Amino acid sequence: MATVSFQNIEKSFGHTKVIQGISFDIKEGEFMVLVGPSGCGKSTLLRMLAGLEEITGGTIAIDGKVVNDIESKDRDIAMVFQSYALYPHMTVGENMAFSLKLRKADPKMMADRVAHASKILNLDPYLARFPRELSGGQRQRVAMGRAIVRDPKVFLFDEPLSNLDAKLRVAMRAEIKALHQRLKTTTVYVTHDQVEAMTMADRIVVMHDGRIEQIGEPLELYDHPDNLFVAQFIGSPAMNVMTGKVKRSGGPAHVEVAGGVRWPLQQGPGTEGQAVSYGIRPGDLRLASPDAPDAVPAEIVVVEPTGAETELLIQAGNDQLILVTHGRPNVNPGDRIGLSIDPAKVHVFDQGTGARLAA
Amino acid sequence: MTSKSIATEAKLLLIGIPLFIWTMLPIYHLCLFAFSSKDEAMGGRLWPEHPTLHNFEVVFQQQHHYLNHFWLQMWNSLFIAVTVGLLTLVVATSAAFAISRLKVRGGRTVMNLALFTYFIPAAFLAVPMYKTMGVYGLLNNQWALILAMTTIAAPYSIWVLKQASDKLPYELDEAAKMDGASPLQLFRLVYLPLMTPSLVAIGTYALLLAWNEYLYAFLLLSNDRDVTLGVALGNFLAADDSPWELLMTTGLIYALPPAAIYYTFKRYMVGGLTAGAVKS
Repeated sequence: MATVSFQNIEKSFGHTKVIQGISFDIKEGEFMVLVGPSGCGKSTLLRMLAGLEEITGGTIAIDGKVVNDIESKDRDIAMVFQSYALYPHMTVGENMAFSLKLRKADPKMMADRVAHASKILNLDPYLARFPRELSGGQRQRVAMGRAIVRDPKVFLFDEPLSNLDAKLRVAMRAEIKALHQRLKTTTVYVTHDQVEAMTMADRIVVMHDGRIEQIGEPLELYDHPDNLFVAQFIGSPAMNVMTGKVKRSGGPAHVEVAGGVRWPLQQGPGTEGQAVSYGIRPGDLRLASPDAPDAVPAEIVVVEPTGAETELLIQAGNDQLILVTHGRPNVNPGDRIGLSIDPAKVHVFDQGTGARLAA
Repeated sequence: MTSKSIATEAKLLLIGIPLFIWTMLPIYHLCLFAFSSKDEAMGGRLWPEHPTLHNFEVVFQQQHHYLNHFWLQMWNSLFIAVTVGLLTLVVATSAAFAISRLKVRGGRTVMNLALFTYFIPAAFLAVPMYKTMGVYGLLNNQWALILAMTTIAAPYSIWVLKQASDKLPYELDEAAKMDGASPLQLFRLVYLPLMTPSLVAIGTYALLLAWNEYLYAFLLLSNDRDVTLGVALGNFLAADDSPWELLMTTGLIYALPPAAIYYTFKRYMVGGLTAGAVKS
């Protein structure tokens, strides 16, 4: 177990700066997820921690010790690659034992460690098989086993689930999380999938264009996104966002968007006439009757029942919104409805900077 | 069988039969000479009247003055070919590993320069090579031929192995690096085992190239006890009255090891030499 600390990390490939001065700390035993769209620099950051990329500027420290100039193998970290990167010519057992063999570990200890790891991962029956004889999920587990046998200070995962089919991905997600709860090894996990990030992380770092947009616990990011990017990136389906101007004079505060629709607002955020992005999560929209007071008039466009939930695509003025409800509302495309909104659940961001406006 | 498939078969046969005859005719004549007595050989018959193994007996027992060193020369050919094969592998594998996996700065330039040597026909380089070997005092030494052949075989070998290396996922190297492998351990424990098919193909290519070489062998070696069997065969033609049947017999014997090697490693040859030819 160890802490990891990034201080003003920068990375350039030639003249292209892909990471623009990033600082954050990972606590001992923490499961930290780096998430962001592709090209945001999250994998590069992980690879710098792994020692697979040179660090252009700043320092990375593991357990307080700067590792910039320390080789990968001496950093005491293990990595699980997206493609698993199993050695095709070695059996599962040999794959897992390879790092110990290179360290000239005691054969008894080596066998014990491999046995231990294969037991945790249910790989016992496959130890003598070659990677090509395994399914995707099993290969993934071997890759994890290879990391476990080393008993490293930090586990690194680079999009480990993106090569698996959807069902297996959900299962492996739980498996990795259970593994972390069992081993309590500090873990840095890179993914572009915000659902993975939300479900697995102790804390999430949301990255975009080589910068950190926000760091926080999953629900904190969901409930209080610092900016429009995080608001739209975290959560599925994504937050509904309308752009308009704050109106406070003459009646209750609201945001008026093009087309004249008025979205209710709490007293707090935004000054009169300020151009803002008005966000509301699909789950925070409620159906109401079209003539209910304070309800925003709208029309159903598409109804998508999924069994447990129903997703409704709704037209309100010029904007299309998604509403998710747990019930099975009796509505049909073309129905006139009202949308009732709790102003406390509304997120308001400055249209120019995208920064959250204090509520 | 539908009429369409019959037409296809017929077309294939139409191409195949002339091609087969074209290819086999010289070989047939080679065999015809080898299994005929001297008088009969020149008789112009299409099959031997009294097939005989006498020629093989003469060759194997070195009973002709052209064949005094048959076994020694056979050994020379074998020694030189195998050494060239191994040496080329060492050079080309190291180069390909350095260029493709370690991404050594300037590696691509080195590879392109090496390939550039193929712009000049090898025959034109024979005289400069002769001079060079003379400078180093290697003339009439088998190592002169070994080094020359390795030089000729290396560029193509490096290129093929580099293409094959490029197809190995780079994440394997990174995984090995994180597992604690030094570049040498990576080379020995991960790279070599995965490159085996290409290595066999390239080793065979270099070996056959050296085995079949005549010009360089002829130039660089002159002592009867040093030359390869290929050069010795050439010497048959020095006389007006060449023993054709013995020349053909020895030629047939000389052609057998490459054929055997080729058929043993055929499945590597096809896959290995075309490796990297297309992006997959």
